[in-house]
Amino acid sequence: MSDLLKLSVPAKPEYVSLVRLAISSVANTIGFDVEAIEDIKIAMAEACNNAVLHGCKECSENYEVEVCVNENSLLIIVKDNGKGYNSLNYKEPDINCPKEGGLGIFIIKSLMDDVEIYSENGKGTTIRMKKNIQ
Amino acid sequence: MSLDIKSYDNEDARKWILEPKGDIDIASATQLKETLGNLLEKKAQDILLDFRQLDYIDSTGLGIIIGAHGKMKESGNRITIINPKANIQKLLVITGLDKIFIDLS
Repeated sequence: MSDLLKLSVPAKPEYVSLVRLAISSVANTIGFDVEAIEDIKIAMAEACNNAVLHGCKECSENYEVEVCVNENSLLIIVKDNGKGYNSLNYKEPDINCPKEGGLGIFIIKSLMDDVEIYSENGKGTTIRMKKNIQ
Repeated sequence: MSLDIKSYDNEDARKWILEPKGDIDIASATQLKETLGNLLEKKAQDILLDFRQLDYIDSTGLGIIIGAHGKMKESGNRITIINPKANIQKLLVITGLDKIFIDLS
């Protein structure tokens, strides 16, 4: 038995906090502990940041957030229709040479249990991430 | 969801002290960028970020701190973070940024 929530969000910075608050509330309701809720909040925000910064060609476009609430896990899907990128070119951040960008995806992968990213040049990006209740 | 940044010049320590309160996220990160830029333009010296009252920071905020760190290195100055809350400390550790910004001495 699972519930599905869908949000369509304008690709503007000011709406990311709304999604962050919403996911925090959902995660709290289904019994994640405080640390896991923080992890989910940040991962959610980073996925939205990605859609806002790189995903949508124009600010008037929306990106889609789906949250699948399961008994023992939360599955989050963030999908934009933007320019996408070649995921083979993604490099993990190098602490000896820190850069201003590229941290978001790394943070998502570090904090969530299961992360899949589908992206293709010109076809947008979909981030699927799952967190299990411990 | 807002960000308020207090800043002052600690002349004895020769440091800018910044006390951000609230959330540094994609919507508010430019405020941090402008504050850092303005202070360093006034006087190039070390910066101490006191995160005691900061509840949240994301990669856009961390990116701005990394950017300022890069620029400040040219003048031999550095940024240090103190008093991060547990969620922010965790983020600094997983990104490895604790090694650059947390002063253990």
